Amino acid sequence: MNAPRIRLLNVDLHYACSAFKQRSLLAWIGERFRLGDNRTQVADIHALRNVSVDIGQGERVGLLGRNGAGKSTFLKAVAGLYPISGGNIEVHGELRALFNLGLGFEPDATGRENILYRGLLLGATPTAMRAKEDEIVAFAALGEYIDYPIKTYSAGMQVRLAFAISTTVGGDILLLDEVIGAGDATFMVRAKQRIFSLIEQSEILVLASHDVGSLSAMCARGIVLDGGRLLYDGPISSAIEEFKRVSELSGNR
Amino acid sequence: MSAYLAQVWAARYFWMHLSLSDLRSRWRRSYFGVLWTIIQPLGLTLLLSLVLSRLFGADIVRFSVHILSGVVVWEFVGACCAGGSLSFVQADAYIKQFRQPLAIYSLRTVLTATLVLCTASLAMLGWTLVVLPQNFGWSWLAIATLYPAALLIGWPLATLLAYSGARFRDLPHAMGLVLQACWFVSPVYFEVRMFREGGLDFLVDYNPIYHLLQIVRAPLLDGLWPTATNYLFCFGTAALFGIFAIFVGRRVERSVIFYL
Repeated sequence: MNAPRIRLLNVDLHYACSAFKQRSLLAWIGERFRLGDNRTQVADIHALRNVSVDIGQGERVGLLGRNGAGKSTFLKAVAGLYPISGGNIEVHGELRALFNLGLGFEPDATGRENILYRGLLLGATPTAMRAKEDEIVAFAALGEYIDYPIKTYSAGMQVRLAFAISTTVGGDILLLDEVIGAGDATFMVRAKQRIFSLIEQSEILVLASHDVGSLSAMCARGIVLDGGRLLYDGPISSAIEEFKRVSELSGNR
Repeated sequence: MSAYLAQVWAARYFWMHLSLSDLRSRWRRSYFGVLWTIIQPLGLTLLLSLVLSRLFGADIVRFSVHILSGVVVWEFVGACCAGGSLSFVQADAYIKQFRQPLAIYSLRTVLTATLVLCTASLAMLGWTLVVLPQNFGWSWLAIATLYPAALLIGWPLATLLAYSGARFRDLPHAMGLVLQACWFVSPVYFEVRMFREGGLDFLVDYNPIYHLLQIVRAPLLDGLWPTATNYLFCFGTAALFGIFAIFVGRRVERSVIFYL
């Protein structure tokens, strides 16, 4: 088995505009009978432009960039969720991605049942998940609510449960997208500890965040993205400098 | 393709459990629970047999078994088409987070429908044993082949509809219309002889719904084995949908996520 590695070569990624264009008959009629000049043009979005990155074993990489710079797209392309339109992505090793934590529950099923379902989706077996169940329940601190349907949970409870499940099953490569802000203050402390231990176990970490503090604490290497382009790739301290410079430039614009 | 099926198999615990979860949530907090799968077709059959046997001038006993098998199998077809076209749209939260072959989500829909079909079959078998006990015999073993046949036709069909339903959001709405049209040109409630008498033989002979229904109707109504033609049509339809689903899937599987 090869050592864990992520390699992107001249990667381009387009979002097809037909996916979010208004296509209803009403909208079409509205457009026909309106004066032509205020029509909005919707074009394909070029979300990653010619990005080349090589991340090897043991690396801790922080992704920086303004909103819409392409951080999440980058992570989702690496996770194999988004198809790329050009270039090449090679990923060796077991991936574990934490995105949109609160999503993906069966609302009518109980918390306990959802632990099983999500664990199975992560590739665990039913026996393995049942063995981990008590630990997950304890970590999520849901008490007797674990036997209630998920739809009765508050948003915070859902995130706690999702976090507890998703972080139980580890992997060689850990992709994180702004998940450290989950739950209340006491949970945050435990969540951070858990993330740190997960990071320690993983061979590669790629973390997208706006929190410069946790980035410089956790990562050695920084990648700055802007408008889908790779702007900077190097030591995290210089990357943060570069990110601040870009943000200020755009602030003055 | 075999790699794709291997991934579907690797995720088997997930889709199997979700199917069971769908069944549980369907009858959660209901007093009769799973019994509804049996009560509902029986009730509908009672009502329809009383009215339609008079209208069509049919023998009510035989006709009730005809109707009951029609109700039960049509419920499956409806669940595959209507549920199938929404399979990916409703699984968007999973699809956006985890990389899994998309066909597991349509399989979940079809497996749930097949399990309902199995349970509802109990009503069909029980009722026929009461009203047409003379037909009971070895040929009833053929009824067991209904489920794999239904699953093999339903899965690629639901997958195809799910691909299209994610891209074209009008599809779930249009599906109701299409289903109704299919119902009218198939011997679901109408008797086969009515089509033949009207010179519409082709609506029977080339209709996969007729052949699927024959797998249960031949043993239950006449104590006969289904014919090789019945099976040929069923598995031919499954193969056709399968090839089409693979063709469409190859082109659009990866970009479905953009449309969710």
